[in-house]
Amino acid sequence: MGMEIGGASEYNSEINVTPMVDVMLVLLIIFMIVTPLLQQGVSVNLPRDMISPDQDPDIAKDTSVVIAIPDNNNFYIGKEQFPLDALGDKVKKLMENKTPEKRIVYIKSGVDVDYGRVVQAIDTIRKQDIDKIGLVADKKKGGEPSQ
Amino acid sequence: MGMSTGGGQGAVPKINVTPLIDVLLVLLIIFMVISPLKPSRFEAKVPAEPKDQQDVNVKPNPLTLVVSISRETRAVTLNNDPAGNVDDPSQLTNRLNEIFKQRENNGVFREGTNQVEKTIFIKSPKSVRYGDVVRVIDAAKSAGAEPIGLQIDDLSE
Repeated sequence: MGMEIGGASEYNSEINVTPMVDVMLVLLIIFMIVTPLLQQGVSVNLPRDMISPDQDPDIAKDTSVVIAIPDNNNFYIGKEQFPLDALGDKVKKLMENKTPEKRIVYIKSGVDVDYGRVVQAIDTIRKQDIDKIGLVADKKKGGEPSQ
Repeated sequence: MGMSTGGGQGAVPKINVTPLIDVLLVLLIIFMVISPLKPSRFEAKVPAEPKDQQDVNVKPNPLTLVVSISRETRAVTLNNDPAGNVDDPSQLTNRLNEIFKQRENNGVFREGTNQVEKTIFIKSPKSVRYGDVVRVIDAAKSAGAEPIGLQIDDLSE
């Protein structure tokens, strides 16, 4: 191939893959470490394959308030569990310094949770004068909003 | 580097790294695909908390569209007209599309603006699965409904 005949009696026509393996391993390790860090809060069985939710990079930001409802019994903000009556105060505290258009609370609820539980959470949120709710859902891959 | 002269003529000790690279590449690709899942959400509005003013005269908006979900039959109704069911909410999308198109042609605008009134409200009993409600919201949103309001007062069980 691109190998010049060196004049030596033995040819070595193999690519030296060791640096490549090194780079790969480092990349792999970086991704393995970063991936769990990117995922905040508890894991929730979100509604999947939705056609029309809007992408919102703010959901993943540290400053946004995300209430996770993985099952019928628990409410989480971040990794911390809150009873329903403490939820309002916590949301209020987190929302204190936000501009009006940023006052949105995201709800990450599992698909099997009763709607009533979600309503309870929303009811607590609106008592803090917040009227915008973001219902987090996974968008279908490549799905364009139909007209 | 780590290569020792074998002393012999032919036998050169080398590890075959090709399968290793294969596995690494696959792992790398898997992680690269998993990590940047972009989050998305439906924006919903919630009506303000009802105050203790019983005699407020609220003029009902005749353009309001209320989508209700029935727990027993899993049926979806739009202003009391049947519009498919939870498992196949595309009928709701079509109905809403029709309504919005009609409004566009007739110039039915939101009060004080020149946008077509596309407000809808979602009303669902409390014991319905959240996943079903979100499917209905998805169907409404894909017809262009905006803003979407969640009715959270006086819901049946």
